[in-house]
Amino acid sequence: MVTPDEADAALAAVERARADVAAEVGLPRGYWWGMGVAWALFGLLAEVGDPWVTTAVTLVFGAAHSVVASRLLDGRSRTRRVRVSAAAAGRRTAPVVVAVLLALVALTVAAALALDADGAGRPALAAGVAVGVLIGGGGPEILRGARRLLHA
Amino acid sequence: MSGGFDELIHPSTRLTLVATLAATDWAEFAFLRERLGMSDSALSKQLATLEGAGYLATERRLDGGRHRLRARLTPEGRRAFDGHVAALRAIVAASSAGKDAAGP
Repeated sequence: MVTPDEADAALAAVERARADVAAEVGLPRGYWWGMGVAWALFGLLAEVGDPWVTTAVTLVFGAAHSVVASRLLDGRSRTRRVRVSAAAAGRRTAPVVVAVLLALVALTVAAALALDADGAGRPALAAGVAVGVLIGGGGPEILRGARRLLHA
Repeated sequence: MSGGFDELIHPSTRLTLVATLAATDWAEFAFLRERLGMSDSALSKQLATLEGAGYLATERRLDGGRHRLRARLTPEGRRAFDGHVAALRAIVAASSAGKDAAGP
């Protein structure tokens, strides 16, 4: 017969396995690097382009990212080795992706304003490149942290 | 053997394997081997045992010139797993209720 302690330990193992699988939800690493490069290009565009064009391109990019990321997340895994069940993946990952995008935009604008106030040359480009590197190198970790933070 | 405590699922390695599969629609052999830290032969043996009981199904898929094995729980396997988890929870709950009734 199984003791309560053994049953408790077994339930903990079940939850660990579920959490490990749920952590697989995400976007491929290459997707994040592509977004990071796009981010740096937006910084460049903000420096040399018309502000209206920059705003329009940014909005189109944001909308396209939301659509593409949602479609990719339907595969429910950042690799092709597993498909996480809908129940384990949760339903709030796509909104979290949009929230992360908005937070990164806010971070970029804040960094550009801070650099500009500091008298740095090409503040939008510098902020775009810095945040782009952050996205490319740490996108999966940022999304994972945001999902954990928002219980998604 | 679906519903209630399940002796086939309960051994720790098999429980983790079934719990992992229960959180997926399907998983590849390599993914399971990595997650569970098992050798090829040990994992194959566990999969064969569960497949023999009708708890999981496997299929070989050709991907980039390589055959990859995918495993997924069958509806019967999911029922058995859910029943087993419910039985474990009942054991823990009964113990907690007993302690509460005994008082400080």
